[in-house]
Amino acid sequence: MIKRSIFAELLKLRHSRIGLVLAILPSISLMIGCANFYLNQGVLENGWYSLWNQVCLFYGEFFLPILIAICCSYVCRLEHLNRNWSMILTSPVSVASIFLAKLLVVSILMLFTQAFFLGLYWLAGTLFALPGHFPVETIGWSIRGWYATLSISALQLAISLRIRSFATPIGICLCAVFIGLGMYTANLGIFFPYSLLTIGMSVLNQDQLTATQNISFWVTNLSFIIIIASIAIRRLKNKDIVSC
Amino acid sequence: MIKTLGLEYYKIRRKKIWTMITLFLGVEMLWAFMSITRSIAKNPDHAVWESIIFNISSMNGLFMSIISAIVVSRICDMEHKGATWKMLIATNVRRGNLYAAKYICANSLLLFGILTQAVMMMVFGMMKGFPGTPPIEIQLQFIMGNLLTTLAVTALQQWISLAIKNQTFALCLGMLGGFIGMTAGLFPAGARHIFIWAYYLDLSPVTFHYTESTSLYVTQSLGTGIILLALAMTVLFYIAGSIHVSRQEI
Repeated sequence: MIKRSIFAELLKLRHSRIGLVLAILPSISLMIGCANFYLNQGVLENGWYSLWNQVCLFYGEFFLPILIAICCSYVCRLEHLNRNWSMILTSPVSVASIFLAKLLVVSILMLFTQAFFLGLYWLAGTLFALPGHFPVETIGWSIRGWYATLSISALQLAISLRIRSFATPIGICLCAVFIGLGMYTANLGIFFPYSLLTIGMSVLNQDQLTATQNISFWVTNLSFIIIIASIAIRRLKNKDIVSC
Repeated sequence: MIKTLGLEYYKIRRKKIWTMITLFLGVEMLWAFMSITRSIAKNPDHAVWESIIFNISSMNGLFMSIISAIVVSRICDMEHKGATWKMLIATNVRRGNLYAAKYICANSLLLFGILTQAVMMMVFGMMKGFPGTPPIEIQLQFIMGNLLTTLAVTALQQWISLAIKNQTFALCLGMLGGFIGMTAGLFPAGARHIFIWAYYLDLSPVTFHYTESTSLYVTQSLGTGIILLALAMTVLFYIAGSIHVSRQEI
């Protein structure tokens, strides 16, 4: 059932041109980061790592969370139109599989975005002729970042399922990004999904996480995904849907 | 026209857009106040009215750009969602009037946000005991500069939101604008003046000067050229959007 739900979700995205958005936004954030790196090369002496720091500052802190919010709003948009909720909830598909299919589709989109961003980073580093080899750690940071996007996706999906407006969840995400930044600087980042992305992608601090920090990162993120998904599915099961 | 405008407000009466703007700006102000408090703790010379006006202006580059995109998108998307655009144009009202009513409605909501910001800045300054009375003239310049930029941004956003049904693109534009607004200070003036979102900082009555040993806030008078440029962009985006949307087949 879940497989068919995923195919249905992918089918709905077929002519959406969401790929265009997923390609443009990381490219622009990378360009801003590269421009900043180029203009401050005298101060940024750590080669590949300094470049990572600059490009991730804009991408990981602001672009990616908002990109997730846009994707989540988009995958819920069709359901909010033309009484489609009534149609979907009366179809022989469980509510859990509808939510999980949406979450999986968003996570696939994010995986592509991360891979694309990493490719662009490699290209930028090569064009800058940075000394040394491509840092393999960045692949791990990208995967960890992708894992952190899952909890944000679950939360944004829950919000987008609840709020019929396309734009409001994106605004909420913007506010959450700033709250997350505040929590990260207060060393409470592990307790907030939006700060987990900063930790996961090593945006502001490239020191290696200790074993305990690493375990707590993976466990907390998983807990967030499970808790948020359970609440959203439960709500979808028990509450009346407003459709028009 | 007044009736059309009244109907726009009637349509959004339960959308809680006022509340949404207040909450989003609340987060922005909270962040700005926290950052100024930390800055004052490090350097007591920063406890001046200019500091708060500059900080809010620079943060508006990000927040106001995205909030404008959200507000305009919500006002326009309801016509797409309910397929009511067809119904509206079948009434005895010119499309240009409908377009203008939406534009005025969106901007009045955002003006409320700007005025709320000004009031919150005064309250914060008085709470922190900034020297002197609140600088009304600078505050008015801040409101005017902010409003002028918002008028151009909403004109562009409304064009996109009404012309393209899929709001992803309008929101993406808002987001890109937000990032241009946020990083505006990094660009040279020539490049900055091309992007309307950078005007939140350019039309600010206060700027920040770095010297080798110190940094200080300096008030600046707004140049007529840049004001005219912002107005020209507003008119251009508005007219182009209005003509395009009015002639578009639904």
